Amino acid sequence: MKTLISYFFVLMLFVMSLYGHGKLFAQCCTSGNPFISDAEQPALQSKVLTASLLYRYNDSHQYYYNDSRYNDLPFTQRSFSNYMEMQLAYGITGWMTVQTDLGYFINKTQKTSNQQTYRGNGLGDLGLQLKFNAWHNTKARFSVSPAIGVKFPVGVFDQEVDHVKLPIAVQPSSGSFKYNGSVFVYKGFGKKLSLAAYGSYEYSQRIESENFCYKYGDLWIAAIYFNYQAWKSFNINLQFRNESRYKASRGYYETVNASGYEVVFFTPQVTVSLPRNWYLSAYADIPVYKYYNDLQMSFGYALSFKVTRKIDFIALKARHSANQSNIAE
Amino acid sequence: MRDTLITVLFLSALIISFSCQKKDQSRPTGDITILSLIATLNPVKAWDTTLITVTATGSNLQYGWEADHGSIVGSGQVVKYAAGECCVGLNTITCRVFNDTGEVSDTIKIRVTSYFWP
Repeated sequence: MKTLISYFFVLMLFVMSLYGHGKLFAQCCTSGNPFISDAEQPALQSKVLTASLLYRYNDSHQYYYNDSRYNDLPFTQRSFSNYMEMQLAYGITGWMTVQTDLGYFINKTQKTSNQQTYRGNGLGDLGLQLKFNAWHNTKARFSVSPAIGVKFPVGVFDQEVDHVKLPIAVQPSSGSFKYNGSVFVYKGFGKKLSLAAYGSYEYSQRIESENFCYKYGDLWIAAIYFNYQAWKSFNINLQFRNESRYKASRGYYETVNASGYEVVFFTPQVTVSLPRNWYLSAYADIPVYKYYNDLQMSFGYALSFKVTRKIDFIALKARHSANQSNIAE
Repeated sequence: MRDTLITVLFLSALIISFSCQKKDQSRPTGDITILSLIATLNPVKAWDTTLITVTATGSNLQYGWEADHGSIVGSGQVVKYAAGECCVGLNTITCRVFNDTGEVSDTIKIRVTSYFWP
């Protein structure tokens, strides 16, 4: 138990060390793929493929001024989205995994009282990531997986209805190339328990067009995970995650004051392992602390469901060889 | 060999993405002329609305609208413009007037002031 507590503190320190850069800020007009917050972040073993399909529902309706709810606006507004993401990851070697994900918004809707409803839909961003198995000790159940990645704004960013361009908040794509680096640290305890920490940084490239020059604030994410195998095929994961964004900028020198946030999420997750390496996950993102610069629409809750199929090609080959041997005998 | 190929592809993607920029494109004009593009209220406080009207000459005209920050409500020759606290500053609204023969566009700058300190 002492070891467990000391590892927990080490992971806490790791997470906190990512926040050594002072006060963080963020932006209001978040667009593009949402952060997929499940606990499946480590690099894969060699010749292992995972294919996942995720559905996520998000709902927000509360404006925040700093860390307080703001209810004095002369209207009510609600933003919600239905989002799907396909994710493929493959362990090229024992030390490198390539992962790609493609997001699709079934709808991204903003409803304001006494006003028309805005509704965007379509492809979001395409993510490409390389994960590295930098340190892996099977006996100690300890691994460190750094990763680098880029997001391509392949989706829709100039969607129009009746020749009127929709506001940026409901455009499916972020319209901006994003570059990210992350590290995932995992430590298992016994057969049923594990702790993990995740930290990432994302830099958004400035969007420049004839009438639009905008840069999303940089995004920092830090999370700690507590995983417990309750039954043989049933896992419970509890996660605390801090998402922080710097302020956005418009033009080259103008900072957007009503942008930037710091939100702490609590994310409970359950994962069920099914036969033939199928996995079902369900989790919720529940904001437990929110700080927004100036006055902004804040994050609400999100519900996600994920189905994953894992294929171990080395095991498959071994099974195939064994079958061939049996037939030959 | 395969590892090297993947790494090279990934780095190439990074380089290409740094070199790409979005560019607006517009077609040449036909017989359309924009006579005026005006707003009833300018500056406008965050979340208040202002009416923007375009007057143009030409036949079978259609109108397209785009705001760099904020929202356009409605469509056609007259639209409403509103922007939240996130869009405080000098914003550009672009109006595109077009028909089968071509299109022209014009912009109007609208200053959005803070909801708390208008």
